[in-house]
Amino acid sequence: MKSPIISIDALNKVVAALPEDNLAASRRAALDQLRQDGLPGGREEDWKYTDISGAVAIANRWLEAGAEMPRGGVSAADDIVRTIEADWVVIDNGQIDAQSVDATAIAGVDIERLSGSAEQLTPSGRLGDLNAALLRDGLRISVAAATELARPIGILIVDHADSAATVSQIRVDIDVAANSSASFIEYHTSRGDAELYANSVVNVTLGDGSRADYVRIQDRDRVHEQTGYQSVTVGRDAVLRHCAFDFGGRLIRNDLVIDLANPGSNAEFAGLYLIGDGQHIDNHTRTDHRTGPTESHQEYRGILTGKARGVWNGKAIVHKGADGTDAEQANHNLLLSKNAEIDAKPELEIYADDVKCSHGTTVGQLDETALFYLRTRGLSRHQAKQVLTRAFAQAIVGKSPISSLHEFLADRIAGRLDQLMQETDA
Amino acid sequence: MLEIKNLKTSIGGTEILRGLSLRVDAGEVHAIMGPNGSGKSTLAQVIAGHSDYEVTSGTVEFKGNDLLELEPEERAHEGIFLGFQYPVEIPGVNNAYLLKAAVNARRKHQGLDEIDAFEFLKLAKEKMALLHMDPKLLNRGVNEGFSGGEKKRNEILQMAMLEPSLAILDETDSGLDIDALRAVAEGVNALRTPDRAIVLVTHYQRLLDYIEPDHVHVLSEGRIARSGDKSLALELEERGYDWVREAANG
Repeated sequence: MKSPIISIDALNKVVAALPEDNLAASRRAALDQLRQDGLPGGREEDWKYTDISGAVAIANRWLEAGAEMPRGGVSAADDIVRTIEADWVVIDNGQIDAQSVDATAIAGVDIERLSGSAEQLTPSGRLGDLNAALLRDGLRISVAAATELARPIGILIVDHADSAATVSQIRVDIDVAANSSASFIEYHTSRGDAELYANSVVNVTLGDGSRADYVRIQDRDRVHEQTGYQSVTVGRDAVLRHCAFDFGGRLIRNDLVIDLANPGSNAEFAGLYLIGDGQHIDNHTRTDHRTGPTESHQEYRGILTGKARGVWNGKAIVHKGADGTDAEQANHNLLLSKNAEIDAKPELEIYADDVKCSHGTTVGQLDETALFYLRTRGLSRHQAKQVLTRAFAQAIVGKSPISSLHEFLADRIAGRLDQLMQETDA
Repeated sequence: MLEIKNLKTSIGGTEILRGLSLRVDAGEVHAIMGPNGSGKSTLAQVIAGHSDYEVTSGTVEFKGNDLLELEPEERAHEGIFLGFQYPVEIPGVNNAYLLKAAVNARRKHQGLDEIDAFEFLKLAKEKMALLHMDPKLLNRGVNEGFSGGEKKRNEILQMAMLEPSLAILDETDSGLDIDALRAVAEGVNALRTPDRAIVLVTHYQRLLDYIEPDHVHVLSEGRIARSGDKSLALELEERGYDWVREAANG
C-alpha cells in the first residue's frame, strides 16, 4: 500500500485563487509543509488499517474540476437545530454561515472568523496541513474566564454534494479560559448522492480550573468520507468530558489527541460506533500524560454488522516524570455478523515509575444464553436482540456529559440499531 | 396439560434423554429428582425450547398441541415458564423493563392491551413483598450483582407476574439459605391453583418439605426409573440414588 498522493499542481492553483486575507500566510506555510511531508498512509503503523486514498482521489477530482464549493445545506440541517437545544453556529460546505454566527450572541463568549485574526494557524498534522492550505475560513470560539454557560454551543457541520465531487475543510479553534465551564456539541451531517470528502480540525484549549463537556456526533450519508482531527490541551485542574458517536459515513477516521500537561488535568472520554455493511470507521486516540498527577479514562464501544470494518486504537503515553498518572482504556465490540471485522489495539507507553494503568479489550457476539433467557420470557428473537444491543450501546450514552442530549441519542441509536439488525437478518 | 411420550434428545451427538415419558395434568405438582447428569435440566430446557438440544424422537404435547414446533417465545406466550437454575445477568437491561416487556408480550398474545404503568408497579411491588424482595431490585439491571437468593426470588417474581399454566422450576432450591427457600416456596405455593401445573426439578428432597408434590419421579440415565407419591422422595433421601439405578438395571 502506497501513501495517497494529492495533486500538488492542482492544489497550488486552487490555493493561489483563494483570497489574500489573514489566512493566506498560513495557507502557503501549510502548502509548503504538505509538499514536504505528504499525506499519511502506506506502511505507517497508525494508518495501516485505514487507507484514505479514496478520499484523496475525491479531493484530486474536485481540485482538477476547479474546486467549486456549492452552498445551501443549511436548510437540510434545520431539523437538527430545531431538535437539539443549543446555540448553533453553522459551517456549510466549509464556509461560515454568517447568519447563524451573527445571530449567536452569548454573554462571555466571543465568536470570530479565523480570516479576521492576525494569528497564524497552529499546525495540526498532515491532514491539518491539507485543511489549512484549502481553508476558506474557520471559527474561533473563546469563552471568557470564570464564565459558566447555561446552554451548549452547537457547531453544525453540514456538507452536501449534489452532482460533482465535493470537498470541504472545517476548522474550529476553541478556547475555554480559566475557571469557566462550557459544553459543546459538534455535529457532522451530509447529504447528496455525489462523492464527498470532509476534513475537519478542531483544537481545544482548556484553561486552568476549567471544564468542557464535549459531544461529537457524526451522522453523515453512507457514501461520504471524513477525516477529523481534534486536539485538546487540558490545563491545571481542568476537566475534559468527551463523548463521540459515529453512525454514518463510508470511511471515517477520527483522531483525538489529548494533552494532559498540567497537574490535576483530567480527561474522561468515550465513544460509540454503530457500523453497517460497507462502512469503515476508525477511532484513534492518543493521550499524553506529561506530568502527574493526571488522569485519563476512556471507553469506546462498537456494534458491527455486514462487512463492517472498525478500528480502535487507544494510545496512552506516560512521559518521564509523570508520576501519579492514572490511565485506563477499554474497548468493547459486539459483532452481529461473521464478516464484520474489528481491529482493536490498546497501547501503553510508560516512562514513569509510580503509575496506575490498565486496559481491556473484548470482541464478542450477542450472548446466546441471554437471548434464550429473554425469549423464554416471551420476547421475540428480534426484540431480545434489540434489548441486548441497546443496553450495550446505552452504557456509552450514560457516559455522555451533556444530559440534554441523552434522549436524542437514545432515539438515534435505537433507529440505527434497527437498521443494522435488518442488514444482519437480510 | 403436558404429555411427553418416548422423548429422545441429544446435544452435540450425545444422547441425554433416552425415551422419557411423562404426563402432567392441571392442578398437579410434580417433582423430578435424580442424580447429576440424569437429564433433569435437559428436560427443563427442552420443554422451554432451547435450540442446542436436538429432539431425535418422541412427542411433546402441551394443551393438546405439538410443543416442539414452537419457538421459545411462543411457548412462553402459550403459558410455559422456565425458572432457570442459573438466572442470566443482563447488565444495562432494567429489571422492571424486562418484567413489563414479558407481561406485555403475553398480554399481546392474549389479545389484551398493554398493562397500565401504575397497575404494573402496584402488582410488581405486591409480589415482591410476598417474596420478601427489596423493591430497589426493580430498578437494577436484570440479575446484575444479585445474590444467589435474590436471583432465585427474581425468577419466582417473573413467574408470579406472568401467571403461567405450566411452571418448570429448575433447581430453584440450589444455593438458597433457609429464609430464601421459605420465601421461594411461599411464592410457589401461592400459585398452586386447579388450572396450573408445576414441575419442580431438584436434586434434594429439602424443597419438598415446603412444596408438597403430588407425584415424584426419579430420573436415571435419561428415563424415568421410578414414580410414586411424596413418600418416594423420603425413601430416596434415605436409600440414595444408587438404589433406583440398581433397581432400574436389575
